Amino acid sequence: MNSLNLFLQFLANGVVTGAAYVLVAIGLTLIFGILNVVNFAHGEFYMLGGYAAVTASAVLGFPLIPTLVVTVVFLAAFGMAAEWLVFRPISGRDPNNAIIASFGLSILLQNGALVVFGAQPQTWKTDLAELPVQLGPVFLTGQRVLIVLITVVLVAALLLVLRYTWTGRALRAMAQHPVIAQISGVNVRKVAVVTFAIASALSGIAGALMSSVFMVQPTSGAMLVMKAFTVVILGGMGSIGGTVLAGLGLGTVEAMVSGYVGNEIRDMIGFLLVILMLLVRPRGLFGQSTERS
Amino acid sequence: MVMIFIYVVLAVSLDLVMGWAGQVSFAHAAFFGIGAYTTAIMQRDFGTGFWLNLPAAMVMAGLCGFLLGLPALRLRGHFLAIVTIAFQTIVYLALSQWTSFTGGQYGIEVSSVSGFASIERFYYLAFGLSLATVVVSWLVTHSRLGMAWQAVRDDEVLAQAIGLNTTASKLAAFVLAAAFAGAAGVLVAHHIRGVTPDDFTILTSATIVAMVVIGGRGTVWGPLLGAVVFMALPELLGAAARYKLIIYGLLMIVMVTMMPQGVFGVWARRRQK
Repeated sequence: MNSLNLFLQFLANGVVTGAAYVLVAIGLTLIFGILNVVNFAHGEFYMLGGYAAVTASAVLGFPLIPTLVVTVVFLAAFGMAAEWLVFRPISGRDPNNAIIASFGLSILLQNGALVVFGAQPQTWKTDLAELPVQLGPVFLTGQRVLIVLITVVLVAALLLVLRYTWTGRALRAMAQHPVIAQISGVNVRKVAVVTFAIASALSGIAGALMSSVFMVQPTSGAMLVMKAFTVVILGGMGSIGGTVLAGLGLGTVEAMVSGYVGNEIRDMIGFLLVILMLLVRPRGLFGQSTERS
Repeated sequence: MVMIFIYVVLAVSLDLVMGWAGQVSFAHAAFFGIGAYTTAIMQRDFGTGFWLNLPAAMVMAGLCGFLLGLPALRLRGHFLAIVTIAFQTIVYLALSQWTSFTGGQYGIEVSSVSGFASIERFYYLAFGLSLATVVVSWLVTHSRLGMAWQAVRDDEVLAQAIGLNTTASKLAAFVLAAAFAGAAGVLVAHHIRGVTPDDFTILTSATIVAMVVIGGRGTVWGPLLGAVVFMALPELLGAAARYKLIIYGLLMIVMVTMMPQGVFGVWARRRQK
């Protein structure tokens, strides 16, 4: 393979990973933008999505589409439950409490998964996993193409919902000014529940799809949530467009670094970028201005 | 028992940052690790002993705390938490990947402290250090600096308005806490006779945070209690010890939602009434 083809292959791999980052990070940025909550347990929603898919397909024998549906329904319900049990009681108080509580939830879910599913990594086997797809000089499996396609569809759907439906308007109103939104008749509790359901479902789909490419294990959400935070900060908290760009960007940069420089420093790149970004331009590339000091 | 003392040092010092100065830090295990690796590398490369390594590790950890705090403490709440987590992760990755310097996943062996080789003698050493931490923390928090921290915690704008240098006082809390964490790192390295990166992960940080939160933020005794309870918990649970982390997580959620002041905070408030 010549160097251009190699470059294109790295680029394609980067876009696939980036697409998963986008799905997870959009949920995070919604929760932050609308509810002003930083959810450190978001990676565990991703991990649970992976296990939901593995369980639905391996244990219950569901094919691809019903498995995804099951994952979405389960994770949406799970997000609602998390909002109700953990985040509602502490809303409106010191934001540090939400950080600590979601961290506790993250530890709880990680180790709960360890007890229930074991430490052995598992894979969701689909028919698409071995189907080769060739785009010019680039080879991908069908599964990887599916990840990108689903991400595109979901992001487009989300943007349409936010733009044109009543619920979408309520969500955006909450993000802009919670008090006025409430005065205008937005049900804040409902908005919080809906936000968590959407965010958790998106993250779950990402986890389900990625569990067929990489494996799912109890700790697989932990690194991913850090990546998602990186993406959200780079793109700007609360900005969906920024999140999409930053997610694809991070995925690509990581693929390039691990391809040309070495796998060891791949995971460090993002964190160094975050620290730099927070110092230079804390609201991210496309974020609205946020409080800082 | 020695581990209890080590975690007392960690929890009480983290409380200076979290409870008194009101800043979140998920990087405490990184400073703990920096201290431990400083002592291990100094002993390996220069053959120095405990009494030289201890101040060196404290300075090293304090310096790293300074370097992280300098930019990070201008940020607030969520952003500070994320930067500390990013820092924690970078330190962990450096410890585990930079094999030629840190020994990678295998870590480095550390010999015991001469004169304190037996477990009883070492026990007194650890006890002494944790006692020193508690005493210093108590003195500092009841000094002018401690009052400045509380002012920053309760209302940063107001603190600034009355002429406090809020960044400097937050930085002081950060550096002091990091130095103590470094000292705890030296102890743990000599106690378990080696260092491996997996002892200094984000989970360790979260555990220390949990100790502080459950014990009660902003009280010297709360984190002390939290550390003792947390370290004793696996022993008490016996067969249920494999659910240790689940219980930690659950406790963190329940405590923050039900009693954010922590056990000791609630008790202290009751007594005031």
